[in-house]
Amino acid sequence: MFLVLRSSLTWLLLIFVTASCAKKDDYSQKILYERIEQNVKGFDPIHSNDYYSSREVGKVYEGLLEFHYLKRPYTVTPNLAKEMPQVSKNGLTYTFKIIPGVLFHDDECFPGGIGRELVAEDFVYSFKRLADPKLVATGWWLFDEKIKGLNEWRNAQKDTAISDYSASIEGVKALDKYTLQFVLSKPFPQFLYGLAMSFSYVVPKEAVDKYGAEFINHPVGTGPFTLKVYSPQTNKIEYYKNKKFRDKFYPSEGEESDKANGLLADAGKKVPFLDKIVSYIMVEHNPAWLAILKGEIDEFKLPKDNLSQAITDMNGPTEELKSRGIEVVVERALDVTYSGFNTQFELFKNNPKLRQAMSHAYDAGTANELFYHNQGILAQTPIPPGIAGYDENYKNPNVGYDLEKAKKLLAEAGYPGGKGLPEITYDNLSDTLARQMAEFFSNSLAKIGVKIKPIFNTWPEMTKKIDRQSVQLFAISWIADYPDAENFLQLFYGPNASPGSNNSNFNDPAYNALFEKVSKMQDSKERTELYKKLARLGSEQLPWIFGVHRMNLRLKHSWLKNYKATEFKYGIEQYWDIDLEQKKLKKPQL
Amino acid sequence: MIESVLRTSRIIMDKIIEENPISDSLYKSAFIRMVKDPSTMLALTVVMIYTVTAILSALGMVATDWNLEVGTSYAAPSLEHWLGTDIFGRSVLTKVIHGTQVAMSVGFFTCLIAIPIGVLLGAIAGYFGGIVDDFVVWFYNTLSSIPSIMLIISISLIMGRGLLAVYVALGATSWVNLCRLIRAEVMKHKNREYVQAAHALGAGNARRLFRHILPNIFHIVIINTSLQFQTAIKSEVILSFLGIGVQGQPSWGTMIDDAKLELARGVWWQLFAATVAMFIIVLAFNILGDALRDALDPKIKGK
Repeated sequence: MFLVLRSSLTWLLLIFVTASCAKKDDYSQKILYERIEQNVKGFDPIHSNDYYSSREVGKVYEGLLEFHYLKRPYTVTPNLAKEMPQVSKNGLTYTFKIIPGVLFHDDECFPGGIGRELVAEDFVYSFKRLADPKLVATGWWLFDEKIKGLNEWRNAQKDTAISDYSASIEGVKALDKYTLQFVLSKPFPQFLYGLAMSFSYVVPKEAVDKYGAEFINHPVGTGPFTLKVYSPQTNKIEYYKNKKFRDKFYPSEGEESDKANGLLADAGKKVPFLDKIVSYIMVEHNPAWLAILKGEIDEFKLPKDNLSQAITDMNGPTEELKSRGIEVVVERALDVTYSGFNTQFELFKNNPKLRQAMSHAYDAGTANELFYHNQGILAQTPIPPGIAGYDENYKNPNVGYDLEKAKKLLAEAGYPGGKGLPEITYDNLSDTLARQMAEFFSNSLAKIGVKIKPIFNTWPEMTKKIDRQSVQLFAISWIADYPDAENFLQLFYGPNASPGSNNSNFNDPAYNALFEKVSKMQDSKERTELYKKLARLGSEQLPWIFGVHRMNLRLKHSWLKNYKATEFKYGIEQYWDIDLEQKKLKKPQL
Repeated sequence: MIESVLRTSRIIMDKIIEENPISDSLYKSAFIRMVKDPSTMLALTVVMIYTVTAILSALGMVATDWNLEVGTSYAAPSLEHWLGTDIFGRSVLTKVIHGTQVAMSVGFFTCLIAIPIGVLLGAIAGYFGGIVDDFVVWFYNTLSSIPSIMLIISISLIMGRGLLAVYVALGATSWVNLCRLIRAEVMKHKNREYVQAAHALGAGNARRLFRHILPNIFHIVIINTSLQFQTAIKSEVILSFLGIGVQGQPSWGTMIDDAKLELARGVWWQLFAATVAMFIIVLAFNILGDALRDALDPKIKGK
């Protein structure tokens, strides 16, 4: 009875949803329908610091570089730049050549309404905008103290009525119409990732001058799609293909599995493939879920708490999804969860055996099963898959569930069966999942006689405690700022101790020395090897009890082609394609 | 002359007493009234069962092994596990029983803190009046102007989370209503003849207040306790649901909190068990409170 009621309710809802967005399906054009989970702040690259805004900005605007759509580990590749930059020997000067003939979108801000050609000076202007203190750009942190002369320019503008954009800056210069030069104030090889992020995308001065404060709603870029005006009140955004888009081609190289997955079928073809994108802002989960089932949207991100809606306990898609031709794509998050030791805390400081015992007592595999549907990857070092320096074959000898070994090590550490060991406090956040995980953690360690007392905190309480180094053991995670192992390895770097990001206050001279050397190196095979070595060196000393590298699940309809999961979604829609034949066949049956 | 009058009057009094045997006391008649009412008896039985369960659990005689894995993760209710298991394969039934101990102890200790405060402050304010009254009224008005859940949260954040903080936070914030009632009642009683008589016989303030007035208004305390008890239980569930209540042991609130992640998987039994357990005890206390008021309040009596 209950089942009948439930399914009839679902149908009623479905009918309601379909009736409310009833429209004649148009199969003459390639239209992508997608869902945006939050309201978009607008279309100004320098303010696109949230995931949702940056993704929309990436459809209209472009930068010098972009993240390669197919290659993993994530690498950057030229976009508006003709090729990768020439880097001076001291690693401070980067010289870019820009593709000639790239046009801005047609817009009223240009004479005659025709978009003009992009020049190097536009980048100089865009970087000054990012630094302009009057605009309070949310993306400024990315280049703060990194580019020579830019901070000085920024400070000088603080006291003026109108910012002086004509002043020349040593760090960002247009050498000629198509040549752009950056000079950094210190070696920062990760600078190139910054150039692929939405903050550094290029905007035309004419549009900023014409629209002023309204520029955020009048995007004028060089990107693959155009948008006339954006209204913050709307819950539907429509983009059209940029008919004057330059000759840009679908990548012909990728990961090994890409060919088999059909991701290289369009290699070398001109992008974008889509004629139009319709983005619905749907904050609520349930209407979006019904919309993907009905094929009203083509792609969808499953909230973390609802994984079981889409996958069974056997980790395959549910029957319902299979019957509707919906595919589940696992998207690897660039992160790591861990329980950090405060290595300066007396109990843990000079007792590696105790840390090893606790590490071996923690049953990470079962935790993965209980909390992540077995989709997480058990971490051996902080570096997650998808980043150069992740070593698939490496197994950390001090990580892995082994109760017997744990008991033995605990005895060797001087606490046989936990005797004489004081109760250890374990700081956590106080949400439901964190509470359950803390319970699991303390149960795990109780099996060897280690008493754990979970303490639950709000986020500010927790960070305050960690910053003051007044924690003993704490559960937290790290999400990459940019896809470079350096971003994870700095978590073990001694001088970064709390209140820095090395919140386990780990300090090993050998590690510090090697880190200082590696962090200044440009991307190379040699550097990747050193990353691996460094990761092992730090991880085997167990500043943490390692958790997992997490994932997101995305659902997509089978007619959406060239779909590859990526953490960097700037402008990826230009590579997507809709198989109209397939959609015409399948959609009416849903 | 006077002696003979006194003797005569004593003889008359004795005769009156002889002819009219003492009528039942307030409490005895109330008890008889309640016993006759089946729904009250049922409520009383439920409260007794919960109390006994809580005491047995506190003494370590039942539900001590709530942290033990007894089955697979999220096993549905069956003959083996009557209420199913939770994420770690622990019996939901045992957790509910342990949760009963937590809930009842919160009700008990909260009352233990709140009622003496409420009675004492209310009695003093009502009896002495003047500046004492002004101060007490100002104090409880100020306290009750702060949203109680906010106050409870801040107290439990200051004291550190845990059961003790919950007792204190709830106890320290929930005496205002009782205090108001007692104050008004004492004001009403303090000029009655029996108090004046006590005064005339030389009874001091303390004796008049605690020996004479208080027993006459004590039924209000009893009625209030039964209502206070269930409010405290509900508050504890809310606090635990928000993650600032009981730590490291099961409570109905944390079980309902767990259910947030479980319902999408179709795991309903933990939510079901905790809410039903709470529903029954809160309902029982409400019925009991009503019945107590009917039985003890002389004004309603006989209606």
